[in-house]
Amino acid sequence: MSNPILDTFFEETEELLESLAEGLESMQGAEFDKETVNSVFRAVHSIKGGAGAFKMTELVNFAHSFETVMDAVRSETLALTPQIMHTLMRSADCLADLVDAARSGRTISEEVTSGFLTALQACLGEGEIEAVDAWDNFEFNAVTLDIEPISADASAVATVETPVLSDTDQVQIGFQIDFRPHAALFTNGHEPALLFAALGDLGQMTSRIDMTKLADWSDFNPTEPRLSWTVDLRTDESEISVQEVFEFVHGLCDLTIKPLMGPPPSPNGEVSTDSTGAPNKSVAGPLAIAAIDIFGPEAIAMPATPLTAAAPAVVVASRAKAERNDDGSDAKAPKATLRVDLDRVDRLINAVGELIINQAMIAQRLQDMTSTRDDDLVMHIEDYRLLARDIQEGVMAIRAQPVKSLFQRMSRIVREAADATGKLAELVTSGEGTEVDKTVVERLADPLTHMIRNAVDHGLESREARAAAGKPPMGTIRLSASHRSGSVIITVKDDGAGLNRPKILEIAKRKGLIAPEAELSDAEVDQLLFMAGFSTAATISNLSGRGVGLDVVRNAVQALGGRISIATTPGQGTEFTIMLPLTLAVMDGMVVTVGGQTLVVPITSIIETIRPLPSDLHRIGTDETLLSIRGRMIPVVDVARSLGFPSPGTLNAPLLLLVESENLGECALVVDSVQDQRQVVIKSLESNFGSVPGVSAATVLGDGRIALILDPDAIAGGRVTSNYPMTNILSNAGRTAYANA
Amino acid sequence: MSLRDTIRIMVIDDMSVSRALITQSLEELGVTKYQTENDGKAALGKLVAAPVHLVLCDMNMPGMNGLELLHALRNNKTTARIGFILITGQPTPELLRIGQELGLNNLIRKPFTTATMKASIERVVGPL
Repeated sequence: MSNPILDTFFEETEELLESLAEGLESMQGAEFDKETVNSVFRAVHSIKGGAGAFKMTELVNFAHSFETVMDAVRSETLALTPQIMHTLMRSADCLADLVDAARSGRTISEEVTSGFLTALQACLGEGEIEAVDAWDNFEFNAVTLDIEPISADASAVATVETPVLSDTDQVQIGFQIDFRPHAALFTNGHEPALLFAALGDLGQMTSRIDMTKLADWSDFNPTEPRLSWTVDLRTDESEISVQEVFEFVHGLCDLTIKPLMGPPPSPNGEVSTDSTGAPNKSVAGPLAIAAIDIFGPEAIAMPATPLTAAAPAVVVASRAKAERNDDGSDAKAPKATLRVDLDRVDRLINAVGELIINQAMIAQRLQDMTSTRDDDLVMHIEDYRLLARDIQEGVMAIRAQPVKSLFQRMSRIVREAADATGKLAELVTSGEGTEVDKTVVERLADPLTHMIRNAVDHGLESREARAAAGKPPMGTIRLSASHRSGSVIITVKDDGAGLNRPKILEIAKRKGLIAPEAELSDAEVDQLLFMAGFSTAATISNLSGRGVGLDVVRNAVQALGGRISIATTPGQGTEFTIMLPLTLAVMDGMVVTVGGQTLVVPITSIIETIRPLPSDLHRIGTDETLLSIRGRMIPVVDVARSLGFPSPGTLNAPLLLLVESENLGECALVVDSVQDQRQVVIKSLESNFGSVPGVSAATVLGDGRIALILDPDAIAGGRVTSNYPMTNILSNAGRTAYANA
Repeated sequence: MSLRDTIRIMVIDDMSVSRALITQSLEELGVTKYQTENDGKAALGKLVAAPVHLVLCDMNMPGMNGLELLHALRNNKTTARIGFILITGQPTPELLRIGQELGLNNLIRKPFTTATMKASIERVVGPL
């Protein structure tokens, strides 16, 4: 049985590790404040504390050493050299490993941790790391306490505990506040009138302005504040609430808050008056304006306002307390979150999918019943559709996660890879806030790790080569995420030497991946990297040569319904681009008919639909057809034949969908007719039926029929009918001719 | 009515795991009137408005740490007499000294057990 507190511990630790990584990241930059160091320290400390409660000794010991070093950094007894920074980063990685090991009940070999421990110890030099239990034998004289009943009314406690003042009839009735703004208060955009208004919210206030420091007009400097105020605030709020009013101008003014003594308020709730004798309630509004006028010459924000009140003014502000939001909620408080079992969310998503299908069916039925058409009903159905979409978007948003955590893990991969290869590398990320479906974030971790490793290992040159090329010794890997028209784009870019195409070609030929006489275009050579069994490293390095190639990366990306492409500039680097659908649950598709079957083609891959003239179609060989469009030749793929449906026969005047395929550029798919364009709910075939080549998933249409969702890449790449491997396709002269077009 | 039924305790810790562990122990001890806070400043505000008998507070917290909270409580007359037990993993002599000066009632060493927590509390308020 799982221990719920232990689960919470791991969840919380995950967050702490994230803020730890984040803190260390910003400590690397030139500017960071003490609070950043503090937060890093606290993260390590809290992990240690929690681990201690669950008797995770290894974790406690490691966190303890880490904490000791962080403490030295915090107290500035230890200078933050790049060397020490590096040790801290690597220690954070190790800490994450230890947490992971503790979660899965594994142990990490002591050799690994002891290396890090030695490095941490080395940071302190002479200083010793005290044993974890150094303070076990502390002495503390407990101070006993008498427990008295607490009255439900807090004020009752206050009166009991207040020194008895009744004999002089003087009790604290509020605060006297002396306030003298500095010039910085105004340059920072603060406004005394607003502060007073906030004070007015706390109770009844009377203010006196001190104009004695007012300079001679001949010597007038409009940006230098000359005024100060003394405010008597009658309130039963605590001093803390008064201080809170001035929280944001702390250090920008001279402020003293003293208790204001006076006779206890009369039970009648007498209304105090301002100097004109008017009841304050009636002047609350206008006075706020009067107050602003007084600040006129001082406030840079409103230099044009004339000084209208010459005499020391008395401002009384009072607002109905009921207007205040008394629950003490704070706008700065972190957003409340809710942890929910993922199963529940997924059930909800599934139910919403069914709801949308159901809505489509009802709409379809209604459309069929044209004779008994009811406008109201049509309108309600339309509302139903919009509501269902709203619910769906809301539910999808639950699963959306920023890629930040994923990106953070990658900086560790760069560090490790750089250490292992002896190169200098840094990771620059952008667009961490981009939100992607949770599954995508999870399933992208491995491919991305592999790509990052590749970028460091193969992409970046050695230090010598970089120096020779006149590049800075530190290589840069750029990782970015962004949204673009319904897709998420993730790019990994290095500033290395770019792909060595002759070498790639040579290796591919040597390994028999392509025919020796094959002539490939640059784009095709780049594509060779994605072929199974390809590895460019001449010698197998520690990192990349594990037999896992970019083909695994591509398969993982395709499994997510995404595509990967590669672009390289010799001498300047290589860029991999992953394009993923925003959600795995719905997509926009074009409903088409092929060989009497209804199919859905993802809109994202369709460029245009064409009805070509017979003269635009060129037959090559026995069964190849090319489409001539805008001066280019594009292969035509008969979808029906690819999927094994009875072929419609002649291709004289077919309807073509021009689709973009990652492997072979553009390609035209032959379909019988286009029915509709609509959003479809994706139902996995693999989990309900089995994997079908050329088909990525299925959906249920409005009329209740099941339609298969086409995988244009598989169809275009000929992988469906390809009983012959990639080699044949690539060396096939007919195809290579147009692939480069 | 024994003390454990009447005593009101506030648990302050920024980590939900620690809060859960502390309240778990409190429940084992039969204390039911407890409330939790995850932030020193917020706790101070609540304590000023409605004091409790005893505060169990973590040392290391962002914003306001345990001793700072103790200091603030002691300087406010509605809260000056609240019992305060600090929970810390590192009871350094420095920390003990400041605690003593501020009128800290007792200290619980992390990691704690229900038994050590009981002992610490009872040394302050008497048998539960």
